[in-house]
Amino acid sequence: MSDNKPLDQLIVELQERAKELTCLYQMQELLNNPENTIKDICKGLVEVIPPGWQYPDICRARINLMGEIYQSEDFVETPWVQKTDILIQNEPVGELIVCYTEVRPQSNEGPFLKDERKLINTIAGRLGLHVLHQQLKTVFDEQKRTGTEQKSEWVVILDMLRQTDPKLLIRLSRKMVNFLCWTGVKDAETLLEQFSPWFDNQDKIFDENRPFKRRSDNDLLSLGYEIFEMAEKYLPQKQILDSIQKWTKEDRSGFLSKVLENMGSSLQDIDVVIERYNHLAAQMLELSEPREKGLRVALIRRLLTDQSDYIGIAKRFADVKSFNDLMQHIIYPAGSHGKLGGKSAGLFLARQILKKFEDKYESFKDIKIPKTWYLTSDGLLNYMAHNVLEEVMEQKYKDIGQVRQEYPFVIQVFKNSSFSPEIIKGLLRVLEDLGDVPLVVRSSSLLEDRIGAAFAGKYKSLFIANQGTKEERLIQLMDAIAEVYASTFGPDPIDYRAENDLLDYHEEMGIMIQEVVGTKVGHYFLPAFAGVAFSRNEFRWSPRIKSEDGLIRMVPGLGTRAVDRTSNDYPILISPGQPQLKVNVTIDEVIRYSPKYIDLINLETGEFETVELEALKQFGSEYPIISQLVSILRQDHLVQARPMGIDFTKDNLVITFEGLISRTNFVKQVKDILDVLQKQYNHPVDIEFAHDGKNLYLLQCRSQTAAIEYKPAAIPPNIPPEKTIFTANRFISNGLVSDITHIAYVDPKKYSEISDLETLKEVGKAIGRLNKILPKHQFILMGPGRWGSRGDIKLGVSVTYSEINNTAMLIEIARKTKDYVPDVSFGTHFFQDLVEANIRYLPLYPDDRGIIFNKEFFVNSENTLVSFLPDAAHLSDVIRVIDVPASANGQVLQVLMNAEVNETVAMLADRSELVDDDSLQLKLGQTTGMKQADVHWQWRLRNVEKLASQLDPKRFGVKCFYVFGSVKNAHAGPASDIDVLIHFIGTEEQRNDLTSWLDGWSLALSQINFLRTGHKTDGLLDVHIITDKDIEKRDSFAIKIGAVSDPARPLPIGTALINK
Amino acid sequence: MVKNSYNPFETAQKQFDRAADMLELDQATRDLLRNPIREFHFSIPIRMDDSQMKVFRGFRVQHNDARGPAKGGLRFHPQETIDTVRALSMWMTWKTAVADIPLGGGKGGVICDPHNLSQIEQERLCRGWVRQVFKNIGPSVDVPAPDVMTNPQHMLWMLDEYETLRGEKLPGFITGKPVGMGGSLGRKEATGYGVIITVREALKELNISPSDTLASVQGFGNVSQYAIELYEQLGGKVVCVSSWNQEDQTSYSFRKKEGVDLKELRSVTNPFGGIDKQKVQELGYEVLPGEAWLEQEVDILIPAALENQITGDNAEKMSKRVKIIAEGANGPTTPDADKVINKRNIFIVPDFLANAGGVTCSYFEQVQSNMNYFWERDDVLSRLDVKMTAAFIAVSDFARSNKLNMRDAAYVISVNRVAQACKDRGWV
Repeated sequence: MSDNKPLDQLIVELQERAKELTCLYQMQELLNNPENTIKDICKGLVEVIPPGWQYPDICRARINLMGEIYQSEDFVETPWVQKTDILIQNEPVGELIVCYTEVRPQSNEGPFLKDERKLINTIAGRLGLHVLHQQLKTVFDEQKRTGTEQKSEWVVILDMLRQTDPKLLIRLSRKMVNFLCWTGVKDAETLLEQFSPWFDNQDKIFDENRPFKRRSDNDLLSLGYEIFEMAEKYLPQKQILDSIQKWTKEDRSGFLSKVLENMGSSLQDIDVVIERYNHLAAQMLELSEPREKGLRVALIRRLLTDQSDYIGIAKRFADVKSFNDLMQHIIYPAGSHGKLGGKSAGLFLARQILKKFEDKYESFKDIKIPKTWYLTSDGLLNYMAHNVLEEVMEQKYKDIGQVRQEYPFVIQVFKNSSFSPEIIKGLLRVLEDLGDVPLVVRSSSLLEDRIGAAFAGKYKSLFIANQGTKEERLIQLMDAIAEVYASTFGPDPIDYRAENDLLDYHEEMGIMIQEVVGTKVGHYFLPAFAGVAFSRNEFRWSPRIKSEDGLIRMVPGLGTRAVDRTSNDYPILISPGQPQLKVNVTIDEVIRYSPKYIDLINLETGEFETVELEALKQFGSEYPIISQLVSILRQDHLVQARPMGIDFTKDNLVITFEGLISRTNFVKQVKDILDVLQKQYNHPVDIEFAHDGKNLYLLQCRSQTAAIEYKPAAIPPNIPPEKTIFTANRFISNGLVSDITHIAYVDPKKYSEISDLETLKEVGKAIGRLNKILPKHQFILMGPGRWGSRGDIKLGVSVTYSEINNTAMLIEIARKTKDYVPDVSFGTHFFQDLVEANIRYLPLYPDDRGIIFNKEFFVNSENTLVSFLPDAAHLSDVIRVIDVPASANGQVLQVLMNAEVNETVAMLADRSELVDDDSLQLKLGQTTGMKQADVHWQWRLRNVEKLASQLDPKRFGVKCFYVFGSVKNAHAGPASDIDVLIHFIGTEEQRNDLTSWLDGWSLALSQINFLRTGHKTDGLLDVHIITDKDIEKRDSFAIKIGAVSDPARPLPIGTALINK
Repeated sequence: MVKNSYNPFETAQKQFDRAADMLELDQATRDLLRNPIREFHFSIPIRMDDSQMKVFRGFRVQHNDARGPAKGGLRFHPQETIDTVRALSMWMTWKTAVADIPLGGGKGGVICDPHNLSQIEQERLCRGWVRQVFKNIGPSVDVPAPDVMTNPQHMLWMLDEYETLRGEKLPGFITGKPVGMGGSLGRKEATGYGVIITVREALKELNISPSDTLASVQGFGNVSQYAIELYEQLGGKVVCVSSWNQEDQTSYSFRKKEGVDLKELRSVTNPFGGIDKQKVQELGYEVLPGEAWLEQEVDILIPAALENQITGDNAEKMSKRVKIIAEGANGPTTPDADKVINKRNIFIVPDFLANAGGVTCSYFEQVQSNMNYFWERDDVLSRLDVKMTAAFIAVSDFARSNKLNMRDAAYVISVNRVAQACKDRGWV
């Protein structure tokens, strides 16, 4: 029974559509018959309208036109009514009313369907136009009949306007006189003056207090004739007529700009005017170029984004019509002023651009966009207001540690909240329209996908199977949206925003509800393949591949495996500019580094799953275009598969995409897409795509964040072995990372020996906490495997973006293996994050021949982990935090990278000088990615470190010394003070001694700071002294020590004195 | 960076000198065999995909062809050196000689990194290589085969070019071709079966019935799998198999005391011989550390994975029960370990005898190609048995009568055969 449901629904819909068409057709017949008077038409209309509605038996219609009433025989006004005005030249001249005589179930507008609203508007519109047409005809005929002398054609028109639309006549006259003035007609100026309110009052203008007399319309009308008479003297007849025609048309689109330019108008208003515009456009409404452009920009700004880069591109491609389809698929809260968000905007623009190039590139015609519905960005606010969750908005200003702790609760709260009825109604419409195919609910926030801050993978995208009853499907959908909403307040995006200075920017979350591209294979649902493509290739496995050759990273099934970093699987990489230069060449490589798993949706369980590719073999060629995706391994010979050439029971299949690359135009198609988009964006782009075996679907498009091009660092010859910490010679980039004071080293062997999952996760969490407490951009993280990958966390430290974002460098240590392991992380969201955050990345192969890896340094240097994380002592054999200056006689670590000689050396060196010299800053910025603003906190930190090193603990009775606040958190500005915390255990006398010693420092630092920045302060140190008692009671600042969030950082004391 | 001072050719020459001393070879013979008899160095100009010309450096070294046409692989490697090719060609001479097949030794290569070449460019490179040297190679002169970073596809391109230049079909020009395109059946079984044929013969000499023996195998690739297959057919029982685990980046040993089931194991193994740790546990196997295969209470150890696996450090861990070590891999035993093995009087079947099944099958492929008649699989394997058995008995007899260990005996007998052939031909 339930099987028939969608079919039944479809039949009902088709019937409705047929009724509508019949209704429109009958109306057209009435209008087209020249014999019919307005009266006949109206009488006919009230008869043909009811059969066009959903419940014809109880439907009645009435037309109220210019004082006359026409209605169905037994018409009565009921509460179930739908009305619309009949307009002539924007003035209401009557009304069309449709009503049901009995109650019927609720639909879009009372019992009325959405399409019925359109139908009634259309009928009223047509009728209005017809009446106008009739009126004009009468006037025209009149003119012809009575006019004895041959009048100019424009006079006929003016006469006509005078009777039907005098306001328009005045506007046209004004335009004509302006036009004449601009073209340099002197006489016109006097006429222009007459339009001004001062006319006639010129002399009295300054000596009278009464308001100017407003000129009557009649005066202005007759002035119009004068103007046109003058125009006739200077302009050819044809030009006058053309101008009148043009201005009239423009005038008719005035309502568009009125609504769009008004920031107060809601999406609902916009929806209505666009519908009206389309209605008019069908009647050849033409807009002048500037107006068209203005409208485009207004629409882009209201619906998509107000970023000027984007608007600049989009206005060239998105015409007003292209918004029509978009508007049909938007759901929004009442009075919405929301936008669709970055992801939607990117996809929309890419689609428009590609459409424009369809003539030039035949293959673009086959590109599709999955069916998509949009929930506007203020839907989030509506949701929060509906559930009184506004306080969650403040999450972003909390400490990141707290955000992380609270996030699971935020998710729960969101998932247990409800949507407002209007949104639920909208979502039901979405489900109705999309049917029961699997859906993906994607985030599309206002901040997402900006140039330079792509938010790649920061917010959630969730797949839902969308199976079951309508109620079940609605619950799945709402649950997914709530979770995406909650992700706005997750630690990763918040930290990312802080890092990119976007925290104070207003963030809203739009939602895309998209059908998943794919087909059914057995009880699974999946696309044939999917992936990402970049117009710039940052990972070039052969020196012959150029950056502009681009990169495709793809996998069979859902593209999630292509954008996530997986710990034990490999996507296929292709450089579309040079598809024949492959990453994997020998048969062993091809097999070993081919995808082995596939992400898909299990329609039976309703879950998103990862299964082994082998498991799909049972479905044979049910899998779309399988013969283009696999090669067959026959002993040690790899053969391209061909249709009908695969024995699914016996053959050994390997995913190579060989057929797709060599037998189809896929690679060229992607290359063309990337080239066109990059050219039009005037910036490198990346796209996400999926293929269902028939068509290529574009899923996303945004600006690609390109890595900064660093200069190669000069590597000095003869570095003494005791100064060398490690060397590397694979996947080397350029640059210099200097002044590293701390290394957080996860011992690969010890890490691999951890047997329980909890401890493995704890390591990741501890790294996350170190990331917040170690000096920003002055420490590096080193550890085994692919970090931040999905899957077995034994193969790489489990971290997310906000747990590593302060490191200067991430070094992944590859343990001994005989394999040539290509690094496949490029193109993943994780790698994109590193690029954006300017974190340098280096894979290290310590077991390679000729590679130096100074294990003693890592193992024998003192482990200071506990001083930073007192509660992580049990991890101290896995995580080693090395204070480089303390272990290397005050020297710091420098990593010199030089791609030209394919070499990287990490060595101990003296600190670089830090001054305010602009050129040096520039240099530092270029080599280390350090920001200009970083100078202030770095200078402060250095000096407070120096202070601590010279503080004699015995003399002053000091046990520990901490720095916290803006200097520790690396956002101190030129006027910031330095917060220090001193754990004091001495006598009163020592305390006085200490205070005056610190005062001296404070004043001295203040003076230096003044000289550096011009900011005057009374001492730069803000000293807080605490005692054992405070710590015991966890009083005041004592809580900063070892706190979970924003803890104070201990500094070694007295080290300079010992050295002496 | 540290300069790599290891020269494989010097090592190969030293090895030869030792055998030459034992055989008291004359100076002329030493001079002839210490160096390749012929070397071809040439340039291969290739039109690249971007229409630029690029010139590659190619080699073919024929170390000795006194016993028959030179035979040996063709390597594509960016760090290829002539000395590596020379050393490898010399080793091929000894290998064909110990298997007693009528072939000599050769090796070739091109300095290139296929990772930087498109398929079409690789095809042109293969064809270019043949064009430069076709006058000096051929079914009755010098027969190439796949090697590092070359595969059956490369062989087919080369064959096609050679046949085009010669104007006739000559499938015996090259080996390693796919079955149906001039390849031989039984190739994938050959090496593993060969290992067990030598084990069988060794057991005969030791007067032990195979069905009374237990074995432990390192590795679960092609060689191991077919070795286990034949060994089980003989009645033996494998109790432990080790395999590399790519995910954990370490190897494990999998033990089943009542004997492993090959079919069962294969069902949980990937194409690289990696056994799924989880699934195999579910099948009732014990998961032990990687080196545990060596410590089992067995009669036979078959290292068939990597070089330098049995070392001075771990050799003492071998059970007292071990009587035979058959080297399925190349160089799995270090000289230090050899000392322990000799002291304990364990019977060792040295690598180039134990794994000579591979080159023997290549010889069969060439024979079949030359007569354009292809044998059934059983035909190939029974002939393999005959050749391997004869080769083993010859080495074993030689060892006994000359009081040499098997390793030295195999080496000396092969040098002796080649030297004798040169003498018989009047070259020295």
